[in-house]
Amino acid sequence: MYKYFNNIFVAISSILKGMSITWRHMINIRKGNVTLQYPEERWPRPERDIGFDLDSYNVIRSRLHVDIDDCIGCLKCERVCPVQCIKIVTTKAETKGEDLPDIGHTGITSNGTKKALIVSRFDIDMSECCYCNLCVYPCPEECIYMTGGPNSHKHPIDYEFSQYDRNDLIYKFAKDVDDEKISKYVSKKIK
Amino acid sequence: MGVIHGDLMTLNIGPQHPSTHGVLRLKVKTDGEIISEVEPIIGYLHRCFEKHCENVTYDQVIPYTDRCDYIASMNNNFGYAVTIEALMEIKVPERVEYIRIIVAELNRIASHLLALGTYGLDVGAFTPFLYMFRDRERILDLFETLCGARLLYNYIWVGGLSHDLPRDFVESVFSFLDYFEPKIEEYNELLTYNKIFIERTADIGVLPPEVAISFGVTGPNLRGSGVKWDIRKDDPYSIYDKFDYDIPIGAGEMGTVGDCWDRYYVRMVEMKESAKIIRQALKGLPAGDVHQALPKKIRPPKGSIYKRTESPRGDLAYYIVSDGSPIPYRLKMRSPAFTALSVLGEISQGWMMSDVIAILGSLDIVLGEIDR
Repeated sequence: MYKYFNNIFVAISSILKGMSITWRHMINIRKGNVTLQYPEERWPRPERDIGFDLDSYNVIRSRLHVDIDDCIGCLKCERVCPVQCIKIVTTKAETKGEDLPDIGHTGITSNGTKKALIVSRFDIDMSECCYCNLCVYPCPEECIYMTGGPNSHKHPIDYEFSQYDRNDLIYKFAKDVDDEKISKYVSKKIK
Repeated sequence: MGVIHGDLMTLNIGPQHPSTHGVLRLKVKTDGEIISEVEPIIGYLHRCFEKHCENVTYDQVIPYTDRCDYIASMNNNFGYAVTIEALMEIKVPERVEYIRIIVAELNRIASHLLALGTYGLDVGAFTPFLYMFRDRERILDLFETLCGARLLYNYIWVGGLSHDLPRDFVESVFSFLDYFEPKIEEYNELLTYNKIFIERTADIGVLPPEVAISFGVTGPNLRGSGVKWDIRKDDPYSIYDKFDYDIPIGAGEMGTVGDCWDRYYVRMVEMKESAKIIRQALKGLPAGDVHQALPKKIRPPKGSIYKRTESPRGDLAYYIVSDGSPIPYRLKMRSPAFTALSVLGEISQGWMMSDVIAILGSLDIVLGEIDR
């Protein structure tokens, strides 16, 4: 009989103990800390400050972006991708480091490297991307990066890019030019 | 009048059920409300992890290991990196070892918080779940400042780390620990010593140590049965032997040794011990270059290796066969959650339907790791 009532007493007292904690939290709650009206307001993204040269330490995971004018077509990012979501097609240009305004090709990158290849296709399928950041590290021209964060001066952050059609998630970075136009500038040796 | 014998009823729990922690199907044979047989059916989350690894290079495997135990990715990365380093005989800088232990233990806390919070949810306590997720969120924020990702980090690489700690990271981890350690007392008051919770978990689903060992159960589940076995102490890898911490074991405080409450409580105490390790590691964090020992090309010599590490769920091991090429010839992952699930059928016989959920929750399984 004693055990029976003791059990009831312990149960009620432990519930009250828990209730007192929840009440304490409810009274001490800070203003504006309750519910976030998501599409209108967003949770602040944590500041990331690696402490030194920001560009070489890209520490954000969002949509991949390529500055195609800087791309030399070395295929390093394509090779390192574990899910093969990057597809690049290049052709050898006739002259190295020459601007070809006709097909929107710049000859020299912003780092001063002379381009030997014309990148005719650079597609990234963001629906396949696993955001591992492996493609960003080997890039010699630092032209493939994830948007925002340390790269926000290059491209504003974009991490909500849902689409109605799956094919719209394939981002095409190469200039949209006909193959015929490109073939004028392709090295004769290959032909 | 004779006794009427009813047939056994077959009942399916899952594959999509909030209490199965993923896509797990339990085929349950019940006699009234008493369980006579539980058969877990797995494979709904199978992603060919091991076969994939035979087609990608060693460094490309790391994002795949993230996705096995997605609650504790750092520990998966850690285990893989340690294995390849042992095969290639790489000596990593001391700073790397310290940072690895800090992030692995932080992730252990995050994983246990999720395990305990959802366990409360399974047995009907909603509030602790919210509190624990609030604190887990702070760890995920720390990881987001660290490497940009919240769950799938790809941070620990073979021979080093992807990059160094951000500025103020050490201070923010200290302030997190100062915030977090008193919270454990709050969880204890809120859930651990709650009478209803004790009634639901104490003496339920007793896992005797000899059964646990014969099934190969490891980690907090084994320690809950009173067996003091932790790879960090018994087969130290990295620099775990430098730190001073205890291995909590189940003592049957509320019921029998090895019941659900013991398994739960071992995790609760383990968070305290992890916090202890992190404090020591942060204090002794040396300076150095984290990229110093990164190999240019990972090309291990011919041979094979089996190395185990202690993930939050137990003994996580990788068996790797190398044929001297940059691609693994064979990779096998020993998953601690798989063995934990295999013991479910053994220990849930004779219990009620609702107890199966309590037992399953106390085993803390992650289906991503079971199916791989």
